[in-house]
Amino acid sequence: MENEIHQVIPINPVPYSRSRQAGEAQTVLDHIVDDFQENPVAMQYFYDLFRQVYCHGDEIPHSGKLVGTTCIQAPEELIYAFGATPVRLCNGSYHYDQRGADFMPAKSCSLVKATLGMLSSENVIPKIGKPDLVVNPSTCDQKKKSSVMIEGMGYSVYDLEFPNVKESEASRVYWRRSVREFANQLRKLTGKRLTRANLKAAMAMTGRAQAAFRTLHNFRRQTPSLILGKDAFLVTNAYFFDDIERWTTAVEKLNAELAERQAAGFRAVQSKAPRVVFTGSPPIFPNLKLPLLIEEAGGVVVADETCSANRMLYDMTAVDEWLLSDMVDSLADKYLKPCTCPIFTRNDDRKRRLLDLVAQFKADGVIYQAFSGCQVYEMEYRSVAEEFNKAGIPMLYIETDYSPDDQGQLSTRIEAFLESLKNRKKRHA
Amino acid sequence: MTAAKPAMQRLRDAVNEVDFNRFRFWFQITAFILFVYGGYLAIDLGSKLPFFSCGYNREGRAGVCYLLPLQHQLGRNWAVLFSMASLTILTGFLTFAAWFIVLNKGWCGFVCPLGTLQDWISALRRRLGIRYANYTQGQFAQLTKIKFVLLALLILIPLGIGGGLFSHDMSPPFCLICPARMVLPLFTGDLSQFTIDFSSKTAVVMTALGISVTALFFVGSFVKKRFFCFFCPMSALHYLISKPALLKLKKDGSKCTRCGDCYAVCDMEIKEIADDVKTTNIMTDDCTMCLKCVASCPETGALKATFVGIPIFVSTETGFIKRMNKGCQHGK
Repeated sequence: MENEIHQVIPINPVPYSRSRQAGEAQTVLDHIVDDFQENPVAMQYFYDLFRQVYCHGDEIPHSGKLVGTTCIQAPEELIYAFGATPVRLCNGSYHYDQRGADFMPAKSCSLVKATLGMLSSENVIPKIGKPDLVVNPSTCDQKKKSSVMIEGMGYSVYDLEFPNVKESEASRVYWRRSVREFANQLRKLTGKRLTRANLKAAMAMTGRAQAAFRTLHNFRRQTPSLILGKDAFLVTNAYFFDDIERWTTAVEKLNAELAERQAAGFRAVQSKAPRVVFTGSPPIFPNLKLPLLIEEAGGVVVADETCSANRMLYDMTAVDEWLLSDMVDSLADKYLKPCTCPIFTRNDDRKRRLLDLVAQFKADGVIYQAFSGCQVYEMEYRSVAEEFNKAGIPMLYIETDYSPDDQGQLSTRIEAFLESLKNRKKRHA
Repeated sequence: MTAAKPAMQRLRDAVNEVDFNRFRFWFQITAFILFVYGGYLAIDLGSKLPFFSCGYNREGRAGVCYLLPLQHQLGRNWAVLFSMASLTILTGFLTFAAWFIVLNKGWCGFVCPLGTLQDWISALRRRLGIRYANYTQGQFAQLTKIKFVLLALLILIPLGIGGGLFSHDMSPPFCLICPARMVLPLFTGDLSQFTIDFSSKTAVVMTALGISVTALFFVGSFVKKRFFCFFCPMSALHYLISKPALLKLKKDGSKCTRCGDCYAVCDMEIKEIADDVKTTNIMTDDCTMCLKCVASCPETGALKATFVGIPIFVSTETGFIKRMNKGCQHGK
């Protein structure tokens, strides 16, 4: 027996940077960087960041305990206030998607599968370390059922109870209690106390990041566009794992450059390029398939309504009295009330926000991405389409996943859609 | 971005980005001094004012709250009440209405001395680091009716007195239980209202009730923001005649994300301000038009105060960010 083992030809494990997984990231990143002209200089920070983290597998340092979050509803201000670092675990890698298929039924959401695949692998990319706690807000069914599986992988998991009706007063009260309980959990985890001073400092930090995001968001109103959507998505994706202060500084630099571009009358796209609002399942690096297809085909994503970008950073918190209780309650409200996640019973807010984005950003049409298996987005398609029909706004609905196989077929559909938007524009002009 | 902004736009931006809480604090102090001490400077703005410039503050008052003469007028003998002499009731009301329509409920949020006093008591509580209390939705729905009941009583009881149904010792009924009657004269060193009148049973009951309400006022406004305003019959009267008012609180629902930031800062816990995206004229019966909601709205143009249709204070993203940054750094 022993002899046989010795006879096996040892396979040297390839370094991460030469793995198929790194290759996937490399291909997308090269595409983002090299196949478009005149990328903003300030984007180099983000290109380098993704190259280091996703292509080379470099480690990302963090301070304090590491708290993984699987949804935007986990209040990150609280995590920062306890001196811990949040990291968003939602993953966009096809490699992990395939790996995670072991855990979920065949027709499930790629994002959930990829997150499970990532957490179950030995070499987790982004390499930020093992989370001391995984916070899993009880949002959609697939995420809810992931809790136990993640626990089974050896993580300590906290189910943050999130209501699925958001209009009622009962849900507000319930959620505020949930958030307080979450703060208790963080206290146990970190052994630190939540104080007025540290929560205020945390809110100042996220407030600055949000202000920077909003500035970037506002620059995208400009026609013709100053920046492409693929870059904007990369920026917000970096927020998942990057150091928040460093991230904010980089975005502020980018904003300064966009201001210069605006002053110089710069155009990132042709003046007739169809302007698209992106909604639905979130594009997360390396799965920037749709935004890239849109922009390759001559369109431009000018705004989005997704939880990997706009929904994550847009809504800001107002506090009346800067006492701990008031701050925590205001934060809780911010994470529930404006949220346009499709897991809620009603989606009036989502429809209104989409209509407003189309109007404010002078969009010509909307592209709606639903990951196959993401039932809530698939089910909301009907009502959103009806709303747009009424308003006379064209929409393309695309059901897809992380697999690159459907790129050819999708690019044909997207090109046709953008062409029709152009024709429509001409007719209206 | 590069071209210089026109002067009007710059002025608008400056207003919209103002440190609102500070502005309102100083505005309220000025109004408080004017209406509690203005009398010493021989200022007299009449007796039809639409807020609690209390008539019992005899020396300092710069004008009198309309509720005092209204109750007196309605308490006339019925023979007089139903004669031509009562035209003065009508003219009085019109004068009151003329004052009112200028600021709408803005009188409550910016001018009323009793309102200002409650804000100061709240500030004291805040400095002590004690959190404020809230009503539950059910409590709110019940309590919000009380001000209309008080308004009805404020009209019916004087009518009853005039008709001989109630004792004259009940007149003026609301003033006798209004905390302003006892509290505002204090500021000019007049303690005479802090007494129980033993001249008759009715007088004992009314003055004792007055003292209890005043005690409740202090306790209530310490734990609850704008505690008394919730029950104020003047506020109810305002609401009933607010349609032609010049100052308006407007909401553009299409720009609202229902984030609830406005509700979070609302002293009166008005949920509609955040949740209602259909009504454009968003001032409710409980509103004091303090405009804190406008100052704390991050969506440009979603909330605004207009005067004769002209926007004078509009919610803006930049204004919001400035104000909240300030709060984060050294907010109290």
